[in-house]
Amino acid sequence: MSVARVFPVFSIAFAVLYVLAMDNNWALFTYLARAGEFHPLVYTPPTPRAGPAMYWYGWLATSALGAVAISAIAYALPPYWAKRTWLAAPWSHLSWVVPVAVMFVFVYLLRGWFIRVA
Amino acid sequence: MTTTLLIFHGLCAVFMLGALTHQTLSVWWPAPAAAGPRSMFASFRAVRAAAYANTIVVLYVMTATLGSIIYPAYRIGIRVFLEDLRLGSANGVFELKEHFVAVGLGLLPAYWYYWRQPLAPEHALTRKAVTGLLAAIVWYNFIVGHVLNSIRGFGP
Repeated sequence: MSVARVFPVFSIAFAVLYVLAMDNNWALFTYLARAGEFHPLVYTPPTPRAGPAMYWYGWLATSALGAVAISAIAYALPPYWAKRTWLAAPWSHLSWVVPVAVMFVFVYLLRGWFIRVA
Repeated sequence: MTTTLLIFHGLCAVFMLGALTHQTLSVWWPAPAAAGPRSMFASFRAVRAAAYANTIVVLYVMTATLGSIIYPAYRIGIRVFLEDLRLGSANGVFELKEHFVAVGLGLLPAYWYYWRQPLAPEHALTRKAVTGLLAAIVWYNFIVGHVLNSIRGFGP
């Protein structure tokens, strides 16, 4: 089996890592929108003139890197493991169940935009 | 420049929305194998769904890349404007959009895997669900992007 067998693992890991990265602000780098500067890890601009700090790109990078690492571990496992675990029903459904769950977590985390949170 | 990129971003989204809607309807509601003439709606569903997969992946990556390039302009110009108007819900739906885009990006490898030829019959349900989820993400993002652009839009 080719490297493609771990693609579902990547998708599951990415979704989980992304929501963790966003909630804990584990950004691999920060982009300052107005200044157009990149800074490693989480960076807070000293003055507002640099514009808002954007962490979204950094969260994507963190999640992608982590998901690649987890996929590499999965790839190192014997190929028949894939057929018995994440590619076998019902575990293959984690490919969409986990992202859907993560999306609901985002709705919960961002509820403050829509309702008053005590 | 930002306006040009926004237009390309929107065009890519439209192409992707069409392809993904064709594919999603064809797997969730397959057209009957009728020999005679089909209705327009049945014809819409009677497509070779697997043929769309690679194009959808490319269009999703292109749309997300273009969106990420113009995102700073939104962050500086539009979000502040929405905050000034106290349009919390508008900001909230965009926050969800950015995270749903990321979830969709992460979903692409699994989506591509389950649409690989020859299609694995044991993954038919997973394939349907992953496709439906990606379609839901793209529809949500398209509508939110369009509405927010209508609220403020780019430009001076």
